[in-house]
Amino acid sequence: MAIKIRIPTPLRAVTNGADMVEVQAGTVDEALKHLCGQFTGMEKRLYKQPGELNRFVNIYVNDEDIRFLNNLQTPIKDGDDVSVVPAIAGG
Amino acid sequence: MALSDLAQELEQADPSLARYNRQMLWAPIGVEGQKKLKAARVLMVGCGALGTVLANTLSRAGVGHLTIIDRDFIELNNLQRQVLFDQQDIKDQLPKSVAAQRKIAGINSDVHVEAVVADVNHNNIEQYAKDKHLLLDGTDNFETRFLINDVSIKLNIPWIYGACISAMGLGMVIRPGITPCLRCIFETSPPAGMNPTCDTAGVLGPTVNVVASWQAMEAMKLLTGNIDAVSTRLFSFDLWDNRFQQLNVSRAREIADCPACKHHNYEYLSGKFGSSTTALCGRNAVQISQPPGGKVDFDHIAANLRSVGTPTFNKFMLKCAIGEGQGERRKEYELTLFADGRAIIKGTHEAAVAKAIYAKYVGS
Repeated sequence: MAIKIRIPTPLRAVTNGADMVEVQAGTVDEALKHLCGQFTGMEKRLYKQPGELNRFVNIYVNDEDIRFLNNLQTPIKDGDDVSVVPAIAGG
Repeated sequence: MALSDLAQELEQADPSLARYNRQMLWAPIGVEGQKKLKAARVLMVGCGALGTVLANTLSRAGVGHLTIIDRDFIELNNLQRQVLFDQQDIKDQLPKSVAAQRKIAGINSDVHVEAVVADVNHNNIEQYAKDKHLLLDGTDNFETRFLINDVSIKLNIPWIYGACISAMGLGMVIRPGITPCLRCIFETSPPAGMNPTCDTAGVLGPTVNVVASWQAMEAMKLLTGNIDAVSTRLFSFDLWDNRFQQLNVSRAREIADCPACKHHNYEYLSGKFGSSTTALCGRNAVQISQPPGGKVDFDHIAANLRSVGTPTFNKFMLKCAIGEGQGERRKEYELTLFADGRAIIKGTHEAAVAKAIYAKYVGS
């Protein structure tokens, strides 16, 4: 299924400037793995270790934190928006 | 009642509030809300991009008492977004909090501004926060934000997180015991170098204005007692992509095993994660903080520095370009020394180098 992953500014250096990446996936984990497979350096920005996200990055599906859903196994369907929201420090 | 009649009635109720006429016409604020703003005591940590917009907005709105703490001085590349400062402030070598205080005095002399030129750290934040109704985030680093988060929970004072980079911004209202705290959302900060900073990726003025204006509005809701209107979500936007989101974080407090708000283990406030030397991310500079002590003698230090540079100073700070080494090994640094002994040393990101320069020219 076609899933749109929104890439925030701090991670666009890894996606060669792309602000949105479309992947085929049935769960959040699959979607992120496709993203990491496409872009070198993405995995260490998202994952602390396999199956565990870094605690300075949150993932939302249609504005809902996946921690309140089924975490990385949260199912996603065609048209869902996946947002990567990292901690940012500027100000 | 026609709006013009209502305005007249509001002004007659308290002539000192007449300047807030347009604000009091907004019914949820009104005269009572305006009086609450006047009685409010707010701590603003950081007075850079976010902080100047916050200070500007809230002083015009009539918040009665602002304590503004900032450790930095004004540079030319700040003026693109730091709305309270101008070129004369740079010529006058004013610290940011002092320049802000002077500007606000001309904007609204009814507002009492306490300007503090200091590094906020685990030793001093509690003394600045303890008598405040609200803490506002105008900082540029996570260490200080987690420190604000700790003191907010310990003293049961709400705070408002705001952050931005390029065209992206985040904001969240943290109310201890009611909402998740910042560490429920982001338990740790990214490792150094993992993410870009405003100094490496840039930041646009409108981004700053949106984040800080959102913070200021939430502050006005809290301070006027309009609690039901206060945001309970993580505000996220990208102005360049025309994307705005209100992210649902309501259950983060129960799900996260938060060291701060669940276990009351204040790792930043206890000094466990604090530091006396801080690399200023993206600026090729190191800050050296000193324990509380007497003021430094600028005359004496300037005399020492005249053999290596041309120091200038006023009662707030001393600046001097310093050349170290010879030939290809020669390096240029810039020392900025504040009256409390704190220093920012530009030209290095290495704590040891910065400490050596400090020890050599300031003494330690």
